[in-house]
Amino acid sequence: MLPYLVLFCGGVFLTVCQSFGVLTPLPYGGGALDAYGKLMGDPSFFASFFFSLGVAAVSALFSVAAGTFLAYRVWQLPRQLASAALVYKIPLILPHISVAFVILVFWSPSGIMSSMAHSLGFIQTLHQFPNVLYSGWGIGMILAYTLKGIPFAMLLVMVLLVRFDIRQVQTAAMLGASGLRIFFTIVLPRLAPAMHTGFIILFLYSFGAFDIPYILSESRPGMLSIHVYNLYFKHDLARRPEAMAILVIMFCFSLVFIIVYSKIVNHLDNGVRKL
Amino acid sequence: MTKKCIFLIALWALLILPGSSLAKDSDDLLLDIPFQQIQEQARDTKVRWYMFGGWAHVNDWVDTYVAGEMKKQYNIDLIRVPMDAGIFINKLLNEKAAGKKIGNIDLLWINGENFKNAKEAGLLFGPFAEKLPNVIKYVDPKSMTHDFGYPVEGYEVPYGRAQFVFEYDRASISTPPKNMDGLKEWIHSNPGLFTYPQPPDFTGSAFIRQIFYAVTGGHEQYLSGWDPDLFAQKAPLLWDWLNKIEPFLWQKGQTYPKDSAVLDTLFSRGEVAFGMSYHPSHAQNKIQEGSYPNSARTFVLADGSIYNTHFTAIPFNGPNKAGAMVLADFLISVEAQLSKYNPDKWGDFPALDLARLSPEESKKFQAVDLGPATLGSDILNPVAVPEIPTEFLEALEQGWKENVLDK
Repeated sequence: MLPYLVLFCGGVFLTVCQSFGVLTPLPYGGGALDAYGKLMGDPSFFASFFFSLGVAAVSALFSVAAGTFLAYRVWQLPRQLASAALVYKIPLILPHISVAFVILVFWSPSGIMSSMAHSLGFIQTLHQFPNVLYSGWGIGMILAYTLKGIPFAMLLVMVLLVRFDIRQVQTAAMLGASGLRIFFTIVLPRLAPAMHTGFIILFLYSFGAFDIPYILSESRPGMLSIHVYNLYFKHDLARRPEAMAILVIMFCFSLVFIIVYSKIVNHLDNGVRKL
Repeated sequence: MTKKCIFLIALWALLILPGSSLAKDSDDLLLDIPFQQIQEQARDTKVRWYMFGGWAHVNDWVDTYVAGEMKKQYNIDLIRVPMDAGIFINKLLNEKAAGKKIGNIDLLWINGENFKNAKEAGLLFGPFAEKLPNVIKYVDPKSMTHDFGYPVEGYEVPYGRAQFVFEYDRASISTPPKNMDGLKEWIHSNPGLFTYPQPPDFTGSAFIRQIFYAVTGGHEQYLSGWDPDLFAQKAPLLWDWLNKIEPFLWQKGQTYPKDSAVLDTLFSRGEVAFGMSYHPSHAQNKIQEGSYPNSARTFVLADGSIYNTHFTAIPFNGPNKAGAMVLADFLISVEAQLSKYNPDKWGDFPALDLARLSPEESKKFQAVDLGPATLGSDILNPVAVPEIPTEFLEALEQGWKENVLDK
């Protein structure tokens, strides 16, 4: 409890203070809300904010969907194959930064995929290779987050599946339910709690994380975390409140998101008949 | 709960209350005693040098040559700690805010806006530069009065000189552009093959400053200090120049390389035709490292090429200031500067005033073979132009974001 108070709350407290221009490294001349005012009047801040949200939402959604489906398939595998399927855990132990490099090495215009396409005769020069990393849509980052996110979602879902009674599926099948119907009406509702948790964690992590964007983000629209990093480390100290204000906004957004999301999920659950 | 509160308050008090005032006094004393005594104090100690760690050959030079000489001459253990300047400045800021009187950084490799930030926030010890015998003997005092237009006042010691050069591959381009207009034309007729690192990257930022000088009528007008009206009047010319070339850049200017290391990779893979560096010997180092082709060469534009000096400084809470001063003095010595000048080691240009050397010493510098990719001072010196004051630099970086990136 004590380390939590000192380290976490202390950090948040200092961040909030500095965002208002209090306790900054250099005496701050402006008003308390100057930094926030500046951000609110800056369209590029909103562009970055919504772009970061988009990247986070797409990669978290895709990770959870693919992770759940794959976990279900692995669970259905015969026992001998199931242990082989443990390879899915490999991306889990890779640090985010290595996954970012893997994507970079594979997908950059002079990378492995491009060289392969060239040797197979699909493209003549490396400039013909489709623009995966620099499309303006954050595809590189989404790929990297998904690669990390899928096994994480699988892991969470697996925990519930292990306790799931396979006879429910067998009974439904005997009564003539299709595979799809079994998955959506019997299995999925049981997995929902793990999927919600997985989504919140992955979404908020990708929204604020720095390492993957540091390697893969494009210049425009830039990711918010890179913008904060530049403001904090590479600009004049006088701009410290701006960097801190962005962090405060991100923190508040994450809190509100968790609260609203859990409320909605609870509300939905109440309307659903419990099995 | 009460216990916890008391503990918290005690912890807070520990962080806030000033430490022993003893350290402070002995530090001030260092500035008054003769250098021999400082050398005596430094003997058999440990010195931690925090420096940019992104260049393997520079790290090697520090770990082998500098560490070896420090051990031999003073029995000092040199520990190199790789860290970007922006990051150790923030570490020191936090230590200062927490009242930490004895830190763990002895010497910093620093310059430009980081130096300004550090000095303004009171993070530096000094003035100590004029105490060092090698500075007194070999450094031209005029060359160390300002760092990016910000007064140095003896709070940092020069140890190397850098100048901006472009890099190209002689095998694919026979004659590189001669001036800015030539470069612009080249970019227009060869779309997709040029780009520059995204400011506030150090190299990218230097690139736009150079264009700024070239398209607004030279550097002299900016050197007298920050002038917002002048900036507002001149900067649009730069934004216009950069926006006009943007559609013809790598990836159609949709994105920029994050830093100079990314640009180096693009250049070495042939994705772009030009590299750039603030270090004239960078291309030669890259050839020797095997990542650039042997046919890589460098060039400067007739409109001017920015140079600057890099420095070492001592933090306010350095635990071994005597050792740090001895190391800073050694780095600006003739032997260290000569070793550093050798492209097999680093190829960094000397910060000494070559006119102050003895004829034999000066001959040794002239005898150094810089390698085919590095330009000699006969080409570099005539186009050398000084750095702009930091306020302009900050305004240019911010302006680039607003007028080029987010336009």
